[in-house]
Amino acid sequence: MLLDETPNTIGYMIAGYAVLFGLPFLYVISWLVRQRNLEKDVELIQTLTEEKKK
Amino acid sequence: MEKSSRNLQILNIATILLMVIATGLVFLYAPQERTMGEVQRIFYFHVPSAWVSMLAFFVTLVTSIAYLRSGNPRWDIIGRSSVEVGLIFTLMTILSGSIWARPSWNTWWTWDPRLTTYTIMALIYVAYLMLRQSIEDPERRARLAAVYGIVGFVTVPLTFMSIRWWRTIHPVVIGSGSATAQGGFDMTSPMRLVFFFSLFAFTVLYFCFLASRVRLENLAERVEQMKAKLLSAGG
Repeated sequence: MLLDETPNTIGYMIAGYAVLFGLPFLYVISWLVRQRNLEKDVELIQTLTEEKKK
Repeated sequence: MEKSSRNLQILNIATILLMVIATGLVFLYAPQERTMGEVQRIFYFHVPSAWVSMLAFFVTLVTSIAYLRSGNPRWDIIGRSSVEVGLIFTLMTILSGSIWARPSWNTWWTWDPRLTTYTIMALIYVAYLMLRQSIEDPERRARLAAVYGIVGFVTVPLTFMSIRWWRTIHPVVIGSGSATAQGGFDMTSPMRLVFFFSLFAFTVLYFCFLASRVRLENLAERVEQMKAKLLSAGG
């Protein structure tokens, strides 16, 4: 079928790119949260180890 | 440790630069496709996402073989990190493809051979992570996951070839597809350049994600070891 004019699909493009940028962004945020929690764990364990030595 | 941190930083910066350039090319350089309009631009990141998801599962296949041969837990860490990263790209592919399909195929979803095999592949790798969660013993978990990572990979070539083997409405980018394919188009030179650049940028993005994910996993392992040491000292 031949189309006379190009359809307006810009809304779908914006939605598509929101997903394509949004998902990896959220994934990186989840790492940063996990990393911060692990670093807190390391600090806590180090403090407990020091206390035990005393 | 210092050197690997520095290398990761360089990789992060290179990835950001490549992604910025790829985005610029998609929106400022690639011409508008006449029959689909602006939504066709999803193609430039949708196909690279799909490529990277398959690459990630291939890396898991290789690391699974390497783990079974050597028993080195490092391979297991890379393998499971790659599955997690691969699943993020799989989800990006499925969602962006569904959004593209609505104006192009007039439906959000159809049980086409490509969409069906891709969904099966995604579920196989979700099950990989679930399998890992269900096994306590680290060595047994790594061994079983490695075997699963090898067997599960069968779904990857099956997904890749589905649009070449069966009657489908999914377009084929490289090579010839089914006569029933809808939404396909002939790439002009600028389109081809943007597509291959995005493919390269996404490949680098994958390795950047994998390296960061492995680093996080190493930190988690270190915490587990410190906990065990503290508990044994206390006992």
